[in-house]
This record gives sequence, C-alpha cells and structure tokens, in this order.
Amino acid sequence: MMIIMKANATPQQVEAVIAQIKGMGLAVHLSQGVEATIIGAIGETHSILPDRFEGLEGVDIVQRITQPYKLASRQFHPEDSLISLGGCNVGGNEIAIIAGPCSVESRSQIIETAQAVKEAGASALRGGVFKPRTSPYSFQGLGEEGLEYLAEAREKTGLPIVAEIMSQVQVDVMVKYVDVLQVGARNMQNFNLLRAIGETRTSVLLKRGLSATIEELLMSAEYILAGGNNRVMLCERGIRTFETATRNTTDINAIPVLKNLTHLPVILDPSHSTGHVDYVAAIARAAIAAGADGLIIEVHPDPARAVSDGKQSLRPEKFAEMVRQVGQIAQIMGRRLASVQGEYLPLKQGWA
Amino acid sequence: MMIIMHPGSPKEQIQNVIAEIEKQKLSSHIIEGVEQTIIGAVGDGHYVAKEICEALPGVLSVQRISQPYKLASRQFHEQDSVFQLDGFTIGGTEVPIIAGPCSIESRSQILEIAQAVKEAGANALRGGVFKPRTSPYAFQGLGEEGLEYMVEAREKTGLPIVVEVMAVSQIKMMEKYVDVFQLGARNMQNFNLLRAVGETRTPVLFKRGMSATIEEFLMASEYLISGGNTRVMLCERGIRTFETATRNTTDINAIPVLKKLTHLPVIIDPSHSTGDSGYVSAIAKAGVAAGADGVIVEVHHDPAHAISDGKQSLTPETFAKMVKQVKAVAEAVDRRLVKSPLPMGRVPVRVEG
Repeated sequence: MMIIMKANATPQQVEAVIAQIKGMGLAVHLSQGVEATIIGAIGETHSILPDRFEGLEGVDIVQRITQPYKLASRQFHPEDSLISLGGCNVGGNEIAIIAGPCSVESRSQIIETAQAVKEAGASALRGGVFKPRTSPYSFQGLGEEGLEYLAEAREKTGLPIVAEIMSQVQVDVMVKYVDVLQVGARNMQNFNLLRAIGETRTSVLLKRGLSATIEELLMSAEYILAGGNNRVMLCERGIRTFETATRNTTDINAIPVLKNLTHLPVILDPSHSTGHVDYVAAIARAAIAAGADGLIIEVHPDPARAVSDGKQSLRPEKFAEMVRQVGQIAQIMGRRLASVQGEYLPLKQGWA
Repeated sequence: MMIIMHPGSPKEQIQNVIAEIEKQKLSSHIIEGVEQTIIGAVGDGHYVAKEICEALPGVLSVQRISQPYKLASRQFHEQDSVFQLDGFTIGGTEVPIIAGPCSIESRSQILEIAQAVKEAGANALRGGVFKPRTSPYAFQGLGEEGLEYMVEAREKTGLPIVVEVMAVSQIKMMEKYVDVFQLGARNMQNFNLLRAVGETRTPVLFKRGMSATIEEFLMASEYLISGGNTRVMLCERGIRTFETATRNTTDINAIPVLKKLTHLPVIIDPSHSTGDSGYVSAIAKAGVAAGADGVIVEVHHDPAHAISDGKQSLTPETFAKMVKQVKAVAEAVDRRLVKSPLPMGRVPVRVEG
C-alpha cells in the first residue's frame, strides 16, 4: 500500500503513519519527494483496508498495490482451477455449455427441454425454481416441486443441473438436489448468502452484478472461497450502460481480464448480456474466441409461450446451430466442447 | 410513429394531432382504448421531427416505430455495402486489418512500422498527424510533414493510408494525401465536420463516440451519407462505463446489432476498446467471431518509447501472432483475411532514416 502525504504534512503526521504501519506488523519504505512524502507499507496487505490510513491526519491519498483478494487471485494460484461438472472439467480444455429454460414451468417442459439441449450438445441443464423477478407480481418459480422435476430430467438425460439459489434458507434443500448453485446478478453482494454457500461443498456459478466492477466480482468470489468452497465459476452476464439497443452490454473485456487476474473458470451468458435471440450466437462465438471456459444459454421449446425471458430464449434448433458454430471456434482455440458421457454419477453432496 | 394521448384528452386535442399528421403528408390511424387514445402516423416518417408532435397539447408521449435514419438503414439497402480500397474490399468476405502507430513521430518510425505491419499481414496503414489529445500540453502531431512521411510509407509498401481528420480546415489539404479519412470518437457529433467530410468522396472510417448510443452513431453516419459520401465504415472502439479495469468497455453487442441495423461495414478497434496490449488479441478474435468486417490495431516497433498509446500498442511480433489467430477465427466463421502478395512471417526490414 502506498500512502501519499499532503504537501504540507508535518513530520509528526508522517511519524504517526509510520507508527500505524509498524503496529500492523508491516515494513515501512519512506520516499521523500520534492513536493510530497510517500510511505510504502510492505507485507501482507490483502486484508488491510485503505481507510485504516485515509483517516489519519496529513494523509492525501492511499493506493493499493496488491489486489484486495487473495484466494481468487492468480498471483497465489498460477494454475487454472478445474471444476468438475458431470463428466467434464470446467476451466480446462473442455468448453462447458449449460443450457435450459429461464424458469422450470412444468414437468413436461423441463424434461422435453433437457432432452432437446442434450441432443444439441449441452453439457449441463439450467432452470430456475426460485426466480428473482423485477416485478413482485411476475411468476416466482415452482420451488421444491421444480427441483424434483430437474432431478428427474437429470436422471433421464445424465445432464448435471444448475439452479439459482436466492436465499440462505434455501441452502439445505438446494444442496440435496443440484450439482451447481447459481448465485444471480442481483445477489452478487448478498454477503450472508455468499458466506452460507461458502460453507457448502457444492459447485457455484457466481454471476457478476449488473453494476459491479470486475474487482467487486472477485471480492464476492473471495467470500465463497474463504468459507472453504473452492469450486467457484465466474459468469459475465452483461453490465448496465447507457446503451439501450440491447438489454445489457456484454463486457467482453472481462473475459481476458478475469483470465489474467484469477485462476477460476469464466463463463459467459450471452442470453442475458444481449437480451435478444438474434445476438446470442454471435456473442457466444465471441466469448469463446476471447478465451471463455464455457457458456450458459437460455433455451425454450416454445419461446413465445415462455413465462419468462422468451425474447432471449433460443429454440432447440437454433441452439444446436449455435453449438456447431461455437465448436468451430473452440477448435481453432485448441479446445473442444465437453460432451456428456454415459450415466449420471451423483456427486457427493451436502455439508463438508 | 405512435402518438399516445393523455387519458381523457378532449376530442379537439385529438383532432388537432390528426390535422398536424396530415399536414406532414402522413395518414393517421386511430386506436381508441378504454383509458387512452393512440394515434398512429403512417407513411415516410423519417424526416418528421418527433418534437413537433410531442409539443402538441394532450400528447403524453411519442414513439418512433421506424428508424430515424434511412440511408444507413438495412431496411432501405438490404445488401451489405462492399467497397473497394487499394488492394482489398471491405464489407464482403475479406476481413482487412488496418495497423500502425497511434501518432507519426518521425520519418524513420513510420517507414519502419509500415514495413513491419505489411510483413505481418496488414492491409492498410494507420497513423495520426493531427492528434486529439486529452491534454493540450501533450504531443499534438506532426501535421502536413507527417502526411508526407505517410505517403512515402505508402509508396514503399503499397499499403493505403488511414489518417484522422480533426477540423474542416484540414480537409482540402488532407484529401490530396490520404486514402481513408478517420473521424475520431471525439468528433462523432461534430456535425459541421461530418457535413464537410460528407461532401468529399474519400472513404471514411467512422468511430463511435465514447458515450454515443448505437442509434446516435447511425444518425451521425447519416450526415456523411446524405452528403453523397457512401463509403462509410463504422468502428466500435469501446464505450465509457463504470468499469475501470480497462480503458473502455468493448461493446461487443454493437457488432451483431450494427450488422442487423445497417448495411455499412463494421470494424473493431481492440486497442482503444481495451487500452491494454495484453487484451488486444483476445478482443480482436472476439470481434471477428461476432461478425466484424475488419480490425484496426495500434502497432509500434518500440511501445515503451511511443509518444502516445504505448500501453495499448502491440509490437510487430505480437501483431503478427494476432494476425495468425484472427485468420483462424475468420476462417471458422466462413470469412478470410485479404490474400497478401507478400509471404508472411519474414523478418521486418530495417529502414535507414
């Protein structure tokens, strides 16, 4: 951490800062400039907040040099983390494609969609049973009944299941059913939920908040990792900008930036990041070309009648065409699409 | 255009709106709802100002149905616009790559870089001689002297040259030298400049403003086309967002959105849209995978000593690697790079200067 003193700071004020640094068990490096004095705090500074110094008298600016996250950082874990999902390892050579409807609407709908996406090349099934809808009057999801349908779809297809968790109170029931807990964009900074999920040993798909910076996303991942759950996948799903031509703006830069900063796998969600079926395939290809480890795509057998997100849901035929195109990009990137092999092997679930 | 009336607005106000619509040579279509009346204005509404209707008494809101631009729109020009530039086409199957330094710093610098980017597979040379720098104290460019060096670089390499024009007063002089005018992000809504460039017949590389919506971008391109200059290439160069991990945020969605809305070629500038040479190659690939028709990249033989944009400039070696990767992506989406007359991968020739 670099502490830049005001031009008129007194020697006593500089001494007070130095004493504070030493009190934290850190080493001090002092550089006396013409206009300002700069004090470096050297050591384990990850967990120290800049405001410990910002409040001291004579301090102008405090700048972090090291990243404020550690477990998520590539500096401390240079190799890519591999997270097992069904038969494949997300984060390795294989590209995972998670597909399914926005919401589980009925038993027949999810089973039909599961079979269709599997045939088209999906490696996991998504489907929401607790839905964080903008309006409290919209369909809120089927709850545990929906989880049973998802589990049945998994038995029939072998696809592992990804479902969103919205609240701490759902943890116990969700971990009994799902292979991956999805944390939605609106909950990216629901810290109690993150801590509770960190205590489980179920894999997590952590979505970036609508207005969250990349650093904030990584700090949220750190909450889960700090609890001992190291199976975290990050998901870019578009950010809020001034542009209204699309539902969100895909921050494609986030893909190479995250791959540079963290060892965790990075997934892109072109359905939410564009909000429109016409753009999903193009952005899916772009994601893989930029280095993403997987995709999560909304697919519905009858988008016009979907209870939610119909406008951004692909039909199974369109999805199959997208998978083919993504496969070609994966190949030139020296990667390949993950495929589901044989029977579903239940993962060890529950509390560690 | 749909004109939505206030609930309970009296008949006279509705009649008044209809009269206005008919005065504009449009026909009206009335939908009486339970609470509100909606009046549809049917016809060629491109040139009708929405503001006129918004100001009428009793009008709640006015919504455009057709796009406010016409010449740039795919609705009126279904086929992709494909232009011929020196040695290649843009907007068709070929994906050209434009490369060069941010600024022309000296004769030897531009000649050396031109040779290096040509050998690595570039199809056109970029380089600024008038620089719109954020700080008025920063290097402002070599001016006409720089153009002469650019012309010499073109003679030596055969690469057409792309140079930014910043002011109406520069047009006449620059026209004599450059093959493509670049209009920078900061000038996207400099309407006098757009009109003046629209009067020329020099092709234009038109950059999106840093806080401009896609619709504003297309409206601005309409200024150029309506002057008769139809050879306009649109360039996504990143937008301003809350994210600070990169210089700008590449609006990758803009690529398929623009390809759907307009027939004009769409180019991506990953150097400015990321601001970091470590991310340029990944975003160049993403751009072409998403359907971009070309790539413009900053390359410098010695980025550490570049006068401007060193952090985002590739070395000729990393640029050559990027070209190879972009080539593979282009082929995966059924496109190809421009066939280069030079064998690729030769060691760049040093130019004495």
